[in-house]
Amino acid sequence: MASDPFATGAASRMETLRSKIAQELANVDFVLGYGRGFDPLHATPVTVRNEKDLDRLIFDATCVQNLATSLYGLRGKRLGVVVKGCDSRSIVQLLQERLWERENLVIFGLPCEGVLDLAKLRASMDIASVKEARVEGSPRDGLLRLKLAGDGGERVRDIETRGLLADKCLRCQHPNPLVYDHLIGPEIAPQGAEDDYADLAALEKLSTQERFDFWKRQMGRCIRCYACRNACPLCVCKHVCLADSREPHWLSAEATLQEKWLFQVMHALHLAGRCTECGECQRSCPMGIPILLLKRMMNRELKELFNYQAGVNLDAVPPLHTFLMEEDRIKDRGLLW
Amino acid sequence: MNANNPYIPELATIIETFDETPDVKTFRVVLQDPAKMAAFRFEPGQVAQLSVFGTGESTFVICSPPTRMDYLQFSVMRVGELTHRLHTLKEGDPVGLRGPLGNHFPYQDMRGKDIVFVGGGLGLAPLRTLLLFMLDNRADYGAITLIYGGRTPEHLCFKDELKEWANRGDMRVELTVDNPNEGWQGRTGVVPAVLTDLGVRPDNAVAVTCGPPIMIRFTLEALGKLGFKDEQIVTTLERRMKCGIGLCGRCNIGEKFVCVDGPVFTQAQLAGLPQEF
Amino acid sequence: MVARHIKETELAAVAAAWARSYRVLAPVREGAAIVYRVFSEDMHPFLGRPPTSSAKEALLPQTENLFTYKYRKDQADLTRTEVFLSEALPPEPTLILGPRPCDARGRHLLDRVFLERGVVDPQYKAHRAATLFVSVACTSLQNTCFCHWTGGGMDDETGSDVLLHPLNGGFVAKAVTPAGEKLIAELPEATAQTLASLDERKAAAQTPDQAPEQTPDLKDIAGSFLAVFADLDFWTDQSARCLSCGVCTYLCPTCSCFNITDENQGMSGRRLRTWDTCMSALYTLEGSGHNPRGSRAHRLRNRVGHKFCYHPREFSEAATEPSGLEFSCTGCGRCIKSCPVAVDIRQIVLDVLDKAREKAAETAGAKGEEAK
Repeated sequence: MASDPFATGAASRMETLRSKIAQELANVDFVLGYGRGFDPLHATPVTVRNEKDLDRLIFDATCVQNLATSLYGLRGKRLGVVVKGCDSRSIVQLLQERLWERENLVIFGLPCEGVLDLAKLRASMDIASVKEARVEGSPRDGLLRLKLAGDGGERVRDIETRGLLADKCLRCQHPNPLVYDHLIGPEIAPQGAEDDYADLAALEKLSTQERFDFWKRQMGRCIRCYACRNACPLCVCKHVCLADSREPHWLSAEATLQEKWLFQVMHALHLAGRCTECGECQRSCPMGIPILLLKRMMNRELKELFNYQAGVNLDAVPPLHTFLMEEDRIKDRGLLW
Repeated sequence: MNANNPYIPELATIIETFDETPDVKTFRVVLQDPAKMAAFRFEPGQVAQLSVFGTGESTFVICSPPTRMDYLQFSVMRVGELTHRLHTLKEGDPVGLRGPLGNHFPYQDMRGKDIVFVGGGLGLAPLRTLLLFMLDNRADYGAITLIYGGRTPEHLCFKDELKEWANRGDMRVELTVDNPNEGWQGRTGVVPAVLTDLGVRPDNAVAVTCGPPIMIRFTLEALGKLGFKDEQIVTTLERRMKCGIGLCGRCNIGEKFVCVDGPVFTQAQLAGLPQEF
Repeated sequence: MVARHIKETELAAVAAAWARSYRVLAPVREGAAIVYRVFSEDMHPFLGRPPTSSAKEALLPQTENLFTYKYRKDQADLTRTEVFLSEALPPEPTLILGPRPCDARGRHLLDRVFLERGVVDPQYKAHRAATLFVSVACTSLQNTCFCHWTGGGMDDETGSDVLLHPLNGGFVAKAVTPAGEKLIAELPEATAQTLASLDERKAAAQTPDQAPEQTPDLKDIAGSFLAVFADLDFWTDQSARCLSCGVCTYLCPTCSCFNITDENQGMSGRRLRTWDTCMSALYTLEGSGHNPRGSRAHRLRNRVGHKFCYHPREFSEAATEPSGLEFSCTGCGRCIKSCPVAVDIRQIVLDVLDKAREKAAETAGAKGEEAK
């Protein structure tokens, strides 16, 4: 087995994951899982095709990517995929929208206590000097122990993981996968607080001009690389995206605020009632633009209007995929045609 | 080419347009500045970028020969944004022209040889410039054969010229279509089959071929069976291009750029490149 | 040339003085990103870490006008139109503060494409002539850095006009070009003591990462790449995680591919040059629907191939240590650090070498069998 720096207490879970995947290898083209990336803080998606590849598998608080993102591009195959609770919501949504067939998917579900947001770590230190990293205890209240290279040799630094967890983990209601074939490890209780949209409230306290200035500054950094779009598990248009279309010509090729902003608005609108807030758009942004705020804004509206949350119920129909003659929460004020 | 800035097109005017097939239209253009038109030089096989300002630019072969400089001719299939827009233009409308770009047919090396042109559809356009150039220098070349095919008789380009060439007496023209209509007097079937049927001989010959990828594939196979060596087969490549001067990157095959090192390659040259077509 | 000294506390004032003659681009921290912004007096340039973006935006802006056009209807015959073109405006004199030696080396590699390949790009040439690079030497390697693979180094001067060497909360400024010399002529001279401490710091900074045995032998990489070119399974596995986004290419100091598009507004408009990315399927999609690089495997192969095979073959005269090849990569590591799925081009390069060796051994083995 490959050495697993986060293995404390998780060794038996990895054993189970590997053995379950081994059982299913014959039934699938390959399994999408997590492997170690270029440093101890980065995971990278790996494809497991045979017993030998099993050694590459890891699962810990660095496994931030949502592997459901790769699914749509691999339509037509029969795949296995490793998911956390939040990732499983993307799969629910893909299945609801018939963008993938359930019978062609073997899901390995891992209850998850949270993943690290490297942007939070990066804000306080140069993460490129990290030589070793391990989480002591649960990511919810443990320590991230880092070994750092420095001028005078190696140093150890401990940081509380609580302050490093991704925002989505702090409000996580679904640590356990909602859809799976194999559940790896015991289910755990949600510890996230109910989402009160405090981030949106803080933004909305600003004056219109202040909010405009905020977004101008944030969007000014955008380089139009479309990592946000391509990392989104539900943004399935990819290369036939309206943003690239010349006919109709919605966006110019110019890197102006207006174009950058228009794309983000399009992305948010196309995800209304579909976005599960996996946060991959924002995490993938090399410029650290808080674009998840826009999707959360849409989701809050959807919750108010339709009492709906995306990706939690396989049998539900996303509200913008259907209509009711009389909506519960939308009053037509009794006006007649 | 604009001497100071290769991105700035010369202004040109369409002097004549006519339909070749249901989706191919021919444009004859002249540079607006008569002095520049008089000084314009190019070699058979070179391409140019045509601009419709507001829509963009695309690359087309100059399908008239350098021996006939009353105008520059382009035959354009309606496939994308630019070509759709181009098809709406009429005589008198302004366009931009950047060129000549790219390399050309090795017509010097072909002197004294028998020439076999093998074309399909609009693939006849680049062959036309070389064919007319050779006809204008007829004594320099041996026997000339043109084997040309299209989906239907309607889809053959340069129909009037095909008749004229067939009647010249100093070259052979063999036409074939996949789907004949009533009154079709040529052959039926695909181009490579005609090649095999005719038993074209490779001795002291050069084959020049252009057409859809599938036709090229089977033509190369047929030529190989007839005994043509890779050095005796000349073809032209198509790639998405933007700058036309080897800088924007997209038309590379390995370290070669189709817009500069091509579009004309011998099969021997292509075999030496990374196979990414 | 005389070495000068800048105190950290005086950096903003020095930048402000430069800003009187130049548009100064300086790196600032915004959240977790470090981006170049046009310098203003209320700004605090941050030189402590390599910026998130490369410095190429100073020479090859993400978008710029190639020219503008205007249509005019013939008043006598409204079915007739004329068109008029105007060249783009010349670039402003620009000074970019804070590139690292890997970025400055990128300038040298952009020159290869836009000035040396064949047709000289007039707009790049104008930007090049109007732009000064005031770079900052590195004092340590990050774990994504591999400049030493490509012939660069922590205080490589290639492509810089001035190189600032960090020292005890300040900088020793060394001019590399006459323009750089002029730029820093007014600054106080560095004392002999300062220069001695700089030498001391540099001598002490030899970390294990810089040891030559850490640098793989890349002299065969171009041939190895061609040997594994046709192995599409290899490239499919390498690219399976790739999202086909533009992070790697847009942050790269040497990626220079661009698109040309028209933006029309009524009777006038602009022809734009815009960064483009070979990671996008649209980059090579032809009008007919044919795409020579239709899959991620093809596209990632092209990016790796361009940097480690096509460029060294095209500029084969440019022998560069340690490999004897000039790569179109400066080892800045941005494509690794910012990749959402942690694709590591170093690992791909090493895997190419391994795979090629494996194939060579197989071929040799097969020949051995035949001989028997």
